[in-house]
Amino acid sequence: MLTLENVTKRYGTLTALDGVSLRIEAGEFFGLLGPNGAGKSTLMSLVAGLRAPDAGRLTLNGQPLSAANSAARAALGLVPQHIALYPKLSAEQNLRIFGQLYGLGGALLRDRINEGLEAMQLADRRRDRVETFSGGMQRRLNIIASLLHRPKLLLCDEPTVGVDPQSRNAIFEFLEKLNREGLTVIYSTHYMEEATRLCSRIGIIDHGKIPALGTLDELLLKLPFEEEIRFPRTEATTALVAKLGACGAVEPGDEHYRFRPQPGYKLSSFYQLTESLGLPARHFTSQRPTLEALFLHLTGRNLRE
Amino acid sequence: MRTILVLVRKDFANFFANKAAVSLTFIVPFVLIWLFGAVFGVNRKDSGPTGIPLAVVNASTNPGAEKLIQALRAEKAFKVITQYKADDKTERPLREADLAALMRANEFRFAVVIPEDLFSEKQLGLHLKIYTNPRNEIETQLVNGILQKTIFSNVPQLLGQSLVARGRGVVGAENMARFNQATADNIARSFGGDSAQILKNIESGDFTGGLPAGGAGAGGDSLLSQVIRIESIQVAGQDVKSPAATRIVGGWAMQFLLFALSAAATGLFYERDQGIFHRIMAGPVSRAQIMWSKFTFGVCIGMLQLVTLFLAGRILYGIDVEHHIGFLLLICAFAAAACTAFGMLLAAVSPSPEAASGLATFSILLMSAIGGAWFPVTLMPEFIQQVSKFTLVYWAMEGFSQVLWANVTFLELLPTLGILSGMTALVMAIAVWRFNRGKIFG
Ligand SMILES: Nc1ncnc2c1ncn2[C@@H]1O[C@H](COP(=O)(O)OP(=O)(O)OP(=O)(O)O)[C@@H](O)[C@H]1O
Ligand SMILES: [Mg+2]
Repeated sequence: MLTLENVTKRYGTLTALDGVSLRIEAGEFFGLLGPNGAGKSTLMSLVAGLRAPDAGRLTLNGQPLSAANSAARAALGLVPQHIALYPKLSAEQNLRIFGQLYGLGGALLRDRINEGLEAMQLADRRRDRVETFSGGMQRRLNIIASLLHRPKLLLCDEPTVGVDPQSRNAIFEFLEKLNREGLTVIYSTHYMEEATRLCSRIGIIDHGKIPALGTLDELLLKLPFEEEIRFPRTEATTALVAKLGACGAVEPGDEHYRFRPQPGYKLSSFYQLTESLGLPARHFTSQRPTLEALFLHLTGRNLRE
Repeated sequence: MRTILVLVRKDFANFFANKAAVSLTFIVPFVLIWLFGAVFGVNRKDSGPTGIPLAVVNASTNPGAEKLIQALRAEKAFKVITQYKADDKTERPLREADLAALMRANEFRFAVVIPEDLFSEKQLGLHLKIYTNPRNEIETQLVNGILQKTIFSNVPQLLGQSLVARGRGVVGAENMARFNQATADNIARSFGGDSAQILKNIESGDFTGGLPAGGAGAGGDSLLSQVIRIESIQVAGQDVKSPAATRIVGGWAMQFLLFALSAAATGLFYERDQGIFHRIMAGPVSRAQIMWSKFTFGVCIGMLQLVTLFLAGRILYGIDVEHHIGFLLLICAFAAAACTAFGMLLAAVSPSPEAASGLATFSILLMSAIGGAWFPVTLMPEFIQQVSKFTLVYWAMEGFSQVLWANVTFLELLPTLGILSGMTALVMAIAVWRFNRGKIFG
C-alpha cells in the first residue's frame, strides 16, 4: 500500500530521516517505535504530504505522494501529535468543520460524527467547548476528527500522550476495531507496551534510521539471547554462578543475578545443572526479552532517556 | 471555494466564541466613540463645557466692569464667583489677595481680576488680570478662549472706552473733547439725531447707540461686528450634521479594526502550533486556501465592524448613513481589505505571536496617530502630513469623509479606492511572499 524508498529529509544541517526504506501492506497495524527526536513525526509529515523529501520516493497504492496530489491524500488521515482542535468551539462544531473540509455534509456527516462520539464515549459532551475537556478527552476527539472521511490509511502520531489507562484502552479498542474492519494504521509511539500490544509489525526508529523491522517475534530473534533467567543472590547460588560463566553472561544485580545464555545454549542443560546443585526450580524465573532490551542492544541507549 | 467558505465560517465561529475579540472589535470602539463624542460636544447645539468655576474680583468703579461681569455670568461655560465666604459664614466681595489661597485649595482654577485701571491712557486695550491654575492645557485654552469671546463679543463698549481713553492719552484731553464734539455734530448733521446724546455716547465709548433707526447702527449690531464680519461658508458636507462625528467614528473604528485583524492574523501562529494546519493540509486544504480564507474573513468582519459603528454613529450623532450606504459599504470593504492585508503582513514578518502583537500595538498606534484617526492631519507639521499619506488609515479616513461628508461621486471616490486597493495588493504580495518563505506552514 505505502512504500518509502531511500527517503531522506533534512532540516538545515540536521538529518531527520536518513535513507529510510519501508513497505507497508494494506490492513497492517504498523508501529514506529522510537525515542524523542527519532524522526517519527517527520516521517508522518512526509507521508501526509506536508513536507517534501530531500531525496527518495514515497508512493501510496503506486501513486506518488506529494502536496500536489490531493486525490492520493484524500485516502489518508492524520492524527497530529498535538491536539489540533479549536478550543473555543464545541466538540461537534470542530468535527463538523473538519468533516466539511473533506467535502462531507448533511446526514452522512451527522451520522459519522455521532458514530465517532459514541465510540469514544464523548457523546454526552458533544456541545461543550473543547477547552473544557480533559487531556484524555481531547486526545480522543483528536482521533475522531481524523476518521470522519473514512481514510484507508491512518497516521497516528503518538495519540495517547497524557492519557489515563482507561481512556488509553478505549482508544486501543477503537483503533483495533477499525483495523479489523480493514483500516491500515501507522502508529508512532515511544511506549514499548503500546507497540507490543497493538502492532502487527514494528519498525524501530532512531536518529532517522530504521535499524530493525519486523513482527515482534522476528525482532526479538535479533537479540543474541533468547531468554533471560533471574535468580536470587544467595550463598547457594554462588556455586551455580561459577559454573555458568562458560555458558553465557551473568550480571549481578542488587538482589538478583541475571543470566543470559549464549546462542544455542539449551535451557534443558541449565535445569540439569540446577538440579545437580539441589537448587529448587522456584528460584528461577525466565523472562522473554523485551523491545526495550532490543532497543538497548541496537542503539546502546534506553528507549526513554 | 467551498473549502474557503468552510474556513471563513470557522473563523467567524471562533471569533464570536472569543469574548475578548468581540469586545475589542465592537464594544470598546463604541464606548470610545460615545465618550469622545460627548467630550467634544459633537452634534450638540449647546456644545462646550458648562459650569467651570470662575472667580471675578472687581476693583474698578467703571460701569463697564459691571457689564463685563454680567456678560461672564451670562456665559454658561462659567459659574461666576464674586463673593468670599469666611469661616464664620459671613460673606464679602472677593479680593485679589484671596485668590492665591483659594486656587491652591482648588476652589476654582481660573480667576479674572478687573483692576482699578481697567483702561489706561498709555495703552490701547483693556487691562485685565487672569489667574490660572492650569490642571490641563486643554481646559486652560478653552477657558481663555471663552473669556476672550465673552469680552470681545459682549462688551464692545469696553473696547470703545479703551479707544477713547487711549485717544485722550495721545492727543490730550482738550483736543479729544474738541474732536469728539466735531464728530458728534457731523454725525448729527449727516444722519440725524441729537448731537449732545451722540457726544455722550462717544465719550462713553459706545459706538452703537444714539443713531436713529435705519442708520449705520441699525439692527443693534455692534460696531465691531460690522467692522469684522466673518461669514463662513461650508463648501462640502452641507447636510452632514457634524464632520467631527465622522472622524471620531471612522478613526476609532479603524484603529480597533486594525487591532482585531492583527489579532486574527496572529491566530495563524496558534493554528500552526496546534498542528491544525498539519491536520487540514494533510487533507484537501492548500496554503492558498488558508490565506484566502483569512483574507476573506478579515474583509467580512471589517465591513461588519465599520458598518455597525457607523450605524452607531447614525444613532448617536446623526451621521447620514442611509443616503450613502452604497458608497459607505464600498469604502468600508476597501478599508477592511487594507487592514486585513496589514494584519497578515504583521503575522508574516514576525517570528512569534508575541513579537507580532508587540509590533501591532506600536505600528497601529503610530499609524492611527499620524494617519488622522485621532485628530485632523491638517493640525500636524508639514513633514508628518506628507508621511501620513503613506498610511492606510489616512486614506480610509479620507474615504469616509468623502463618502459621508463631501457627497462625492463615484468618479471622485475612485482615486481613494484605487490607492487603498494598491496598498492592499502590495502589502498582501509581501505577506504571501514572506509566508511562503517563513515558518508558518513549515
Ligand atoms: N521544523 C523543524 N525544523 C527543524 N528541525 C526539526 C523540525 N522538526 C523536527 N526537527 C528535528 O528533526 C528531528 C526529528 O524530529 P521529529 O519531530 O520527527 O521527532 P519525533 O520522533 O517525532 O520526536 P517526538 O517523540 O519528540 O515527537 C529532531 O531532531 C528535531 O529536532
Ligand atoms: Mg513527534
